[in-house]
Amino acid sequence: MEKSRRYAKSHEWARLEDDGAVTVGISAYAVEALTDLVFMQLPDVGTTVTAGESFGEIESVKAVSDLYAPISGTVVAANTDLPSQLETLGSDPYGSGWVIRVQPDSVEQLDALMDQEAYDKLTGGE
Amino acid sequence: MNLSVSSKSSLSEKQRTGLYVWRDPPASGGWNMAADEALARRSEETNCVLMRLYGWHPHTVSLGSFQRFVEFSETRELSHWPVVRRSSGGGAIIHGTDLTYGLAVPSSHDWSRGTEKLYAAVHGALVEELRERHLSAHMVEATGKEAEQNFYCFNRRAFGDLVVEHASATSSHGNHKILGSAQRRLSGVVLQHGSLLLQRNSHIQGKGSHIGLGEVLPTGSGSVNDVVDGWLQRLADCLHGELIAETGPSYVTENKDISTRAKKYESTAWLQRR
Repeated sequence: MEKSRRYAKSHEWARLEDDGAVTVGISAYAVEALTDLVFMQLPDVGTTVTAGESFGEIESVKAVSDLYAPISGTVVAANTDLPSQLETLGSDPYGSGWVIRVQPDSVEQLDALMDQEAYDKLTGGE
Repeated sequence: MNLSVSSKSSLSEKQRTGLYVWRDPPASGGWNMAADEALARRSEETNCVLMRLYGWHPHTVSLGSFQRFVEFSETRELSHWPVVRRSSGGGAIIHGTDLTYGLAVPSSHDWSRGTEKLYAAVHGALVEELRERHLSAHMVEATGKEAEQNFYCFNRRAFGDLVVEHASATSSHGNHKILGSAQRRLSGVVLQHGSLLLQRNSHIQGKGSHIGLGEVLPTGSGSVNDVVDGWLQRLADCLHGELIAETGPSYVTENKDISTRAKKYESTAWLQRR
C-alpha cells in the first residue's frame, strides 16, 4: 500500500502510517473554503468510526459542517491541541493539523479513496 | 464536510428550478428544528430547493450549535425563556417577533457550493427588495472574529448579515441588523437557517432587544408581508424558476418522522452538549 495521501469526496484526507494506523485530516482546499474556523469537536479515543459517517464537527463563522470518516476503524488518537489552535489546520493541514488517527478495519479501504491527481481534478486544482 | 465541489460534474444536468415554500404555523423549538431537518432530507431526496417560513410558540431562545449552554443559563434576562439548540451555527436568537426560515438546498445545486454563495443569494434578494422600497440596506462584507463572540446573533456582524441604515440606530455599528443566517452543511444537502426580525420583542430588555423591519420600513413602502412576498419572488427569480407556494403545513405526511427527530432537540443531552 502506497503511503501517500488519499482523499474522500467530502475533503478529508487519509494517510497510512508505518505502524498500520491511518492519519486523518482535512484538505487544504476545504480549510480555505470553510474560512474563519471557530470551534471543532473531536471524537474520544476508542470511538468506532464508519466510512462515510460523521466522526466530528467543525464550525466556521457562518456554517457548521460534519467531518466524515474516510475509512472505518477505531480512533487510537485525537489531536486534542487542535480545537484551541485551529489556525494549525490552515498553516499545516497535512502535518501538525492532523485530526485523528484510526486503526483501520482493513487498509484496503484506502483504495476506494481518490489519489492526489483525482482530488486535484475534483477541486479544480492543477 | 459538504462543500459540494463534487457537484461540478452534474451542473449541466437539468435541475428542477422552482422554489417550494411552505408557511407553517408557529410551533415549539424542538418541533421547528426537527421539521427543518426533515425538510433538508426531503430536499436531498427530491433534489429541489425547499423553504419553510415559520414562527415560534411559545416565544423561544435558540442557541447556535456550539454555543455554551452556560452563557444562556447565566443570562438573567432569559431565565424564564424556553430554549432549544439549533443544528446550525451562529449566536443566540430570541424568537417570537421574527420570521424564521429554513432553506434546504441539495448538494447538486449551484447555491450549495461554498458557504457564501447561498448567503449572497438569500440576503441579496432581500437587500434588493428593501432598496426598491426606499430602505437603505446592505450586506456586511468583512468578518471580525471578535464580534463573533457576542452571545446574541443580532449583536454580531459577519459576512452576509443584512443591516439597514436608519436614524434610530444607536448601536456601535451604526446600523440595525434585521436578518441573520447560519448554515448546517450536511451530507447531500445544505440547511440554512435565518431570522428576519419583524418588530421589537416587548418581552425582552437589554442586549437582547432589537428593532425590527416593521419599525424601520418607510411609510408608504408597503407592509412587512409585502416585503416578504417580494423577497420570495426575487429568490425564485434568482433560481430562474417558479415560486411555488405550497398549501398546508410542510409536514403533513411527516408528522411521525418529525416527532421522532424532535426528541433529539428536546433532550438535555443535545441542549447541554456544550
